Order: sequence, then C-alpha cells, then structure tokens
Amino acid sequence: MTKRETDTLEAHFEQARATPPQMPAGMMDRLIADALAAQPAPAIGGWRGFWRAIGGAPALGGLITATAVGFWIGVAPPSGLPDVATQIITGGDDYIVADATSLDTYTSDLTAFGWDLDEG
Amino acid sequence: MRARLNGAPAKATSGLMNMQDTSDADTADDPERALLHRYVQGDAAAARLLTVQLTPRIFGHAFRILGNAAEAEDVTQDALMRLWKIAPDWRDGEAKVTTWLYRVTANLCTDRLRKRGRGVPLEDIAEPADPAESAEARLQRTAREDALQAALDTLPERQRQAVVLRHIDGLANPEIATILDVGVEAVESLTARGKRALAKLLGARRDALGYDDDKT
Repeated sequence: MTKRETDTLEAHFEQARATPPQMPAGMMDRLIADALAAQPAPAIGGWRGFWRAIGGAPALGGLITATAVGFWIGVAPPSGLPDVATQIITGGDDYIVADATSLDTYTSDLTAFGWDLDEG
Repeated sequence: MRARLNGAPAKATSGLMNMQDTSDADTADDPERALLHRYVQGDAAAARLLTVQLTPRIFGHAFRILGNAAEAEDVTQDALMRLWKIAPDWRDGEAKVTTWLYRVTANLCTDRLRKRGRGVPLEDIAEPADPAESAEARLQRTAREDALQAALDTLPERQRQAVVLRHIDGLANPEIATILDVGVEAVESLTARGKRALAKLLGARRDALGYDDDKT
C-alpha cells in the first residue's frame, strides 16, 4: 500500500469511529425492556425472605388453622383415636384406661384442662 | 488457559464453545462484569446501564458486518438476550463480557451472511444529525461512509470482521483472536489482506470522495 492509500483508508476508519451508525428509533427502549423482563427477581433476605418463602399471608392463615386443629386433636382426640396426651403423661402404652376416675386426679390439669375427661 | 462458556451461537450448531482467555489483565479490566453481577441480583439500574453501554457497540459492529440496520438490530437483540440468559451462570475468570458478546455477535452475523448469500443490496447508513455540519460536508461524509461500507461488503466475511474489530471497534489483536477463534497471526494476516483490498478500492475513488480537497 502506498502512503496515500494508507492515509485515505485511515481517514475512512477515523470517520467511521467518530460517527457510529444511528440505531433505529425505539431500539434502546425495546432492548432495555428485554433486559428487565429477563432479569432474575431480586433476592430477599431476613424476615421478608422467610415471609415470602412460606407463601405470605394466605399461607400463614392455613398454617395457623392447621396448627390449631392439630393441637386440638392432640389434647382432645375424637372417640375413635387414642388419647396420646394421656399416654405420654402417664407413660402407659394402652389407651384404654380401667380407672378413669383415678386418672382424673392427676391428669385433668394436663389433658385439655380436663375437658376431655369431663365430657367422657 | 482455556475457558468454557455456554450460550454463544457457534459457527456450527454447538451450544458450547471454547474461548481462549487472553490474559489475567483481560479479566481484571472488565467493568461490565460487576454490572452483570448486579444484574443477576435483580438491580434494575444495572440492567439499564449494561444495555445502554453494550448496545451501541454491538449494533455498530453488526451494522458494519451486515450493512443493514434491521438485521443489525435483530442480531443485537439476540446477542443481548443470550447474555441475559447466561448471566446467572457467568463464571469469573473466563472471558470478558464484551469479548464474549462480540464473539456471539460475530457468529450471529456469520450465520446471517451465510443464509442470505452475497450480493444483498446495502442500506444507506443512517446519519446522526449534526446541526453545525453544512449540507455539503454532510453529503461528503455520507458518500465516504457509503464508500467504506460498500468496500467492506466486498471483503470475505472473516477479513471484514477482523478489519471492523481492529480498525473501527478498536480492539486489540489478542482479543480479536479470541472472538474469531483464530491465532493472533491469523488476525494480523486477515486485517492486512483486508486493508490492502480496502485501500485499493477506496484509493481508486479518492478524488470522487473529495480527499484532494483536504489534507487527507
């Protein structure tokens, strides 16, 4: 290449570097929208993260209901189920108690405050 | 040292491609990487900033290679979407974000050029408005831009990519070697041959392009 050719070519390159091609109208906005749409959700830590992990208020309502029902079944089981609370307290492995009256004397305070035995 | 990156469209159809790491300095000087980390953490400002910083470079490269704004926009959009998808799995210590993106863009351009074949008419280059520029100067500048683009379009695609990356995008030869997946010597050869061909084409039109009117 001659110096003249080199200079001409470099002048072309310099102009190309100085004047980049103009982007179509709205292109940048479209690409930013793409970037935001594809972006992972921000990570949330602490109590907010825990709250979100368990599913928020709807999940908490269900959790409270399930806990209350479970607790009630535990302390006052329906007639078809063993009285687990009494077994645990008395250390017995047979839920059929021969002498309910004697049990009543020391388990009434602990098994649903005596309600289950009162009802039985 | 070789690094392995996902997501780049290959010259063939492989989903994986190997990229040579150019140097440790290459990874140290990568401001886009920090933004990409913030992007993954859900920082919307990082998403905007990365897009604003990367888009003009990628679009400019694609436009110079393809000579068509609509196709260049498609390629830019595709390349950036691939970056957003791979961002959560981005591994530090591998290629620079821009190097990876240029490589994806170069391969997307290659795919398009091969699909459409040669000889597609060039679109006029959109002109940035400059109120201080006279009508005559604007016409001359447009003529020169068109002449360069027309000359670039006559080059074989690898020469064109090497010349654009080196002399318009301003990248160093080792980075171009990574982008084009060739050795540095091959890059030097491609750019030298490309420049010779361009000089011949543009030199013949020197007078018509008004270069005798000024010092160049």
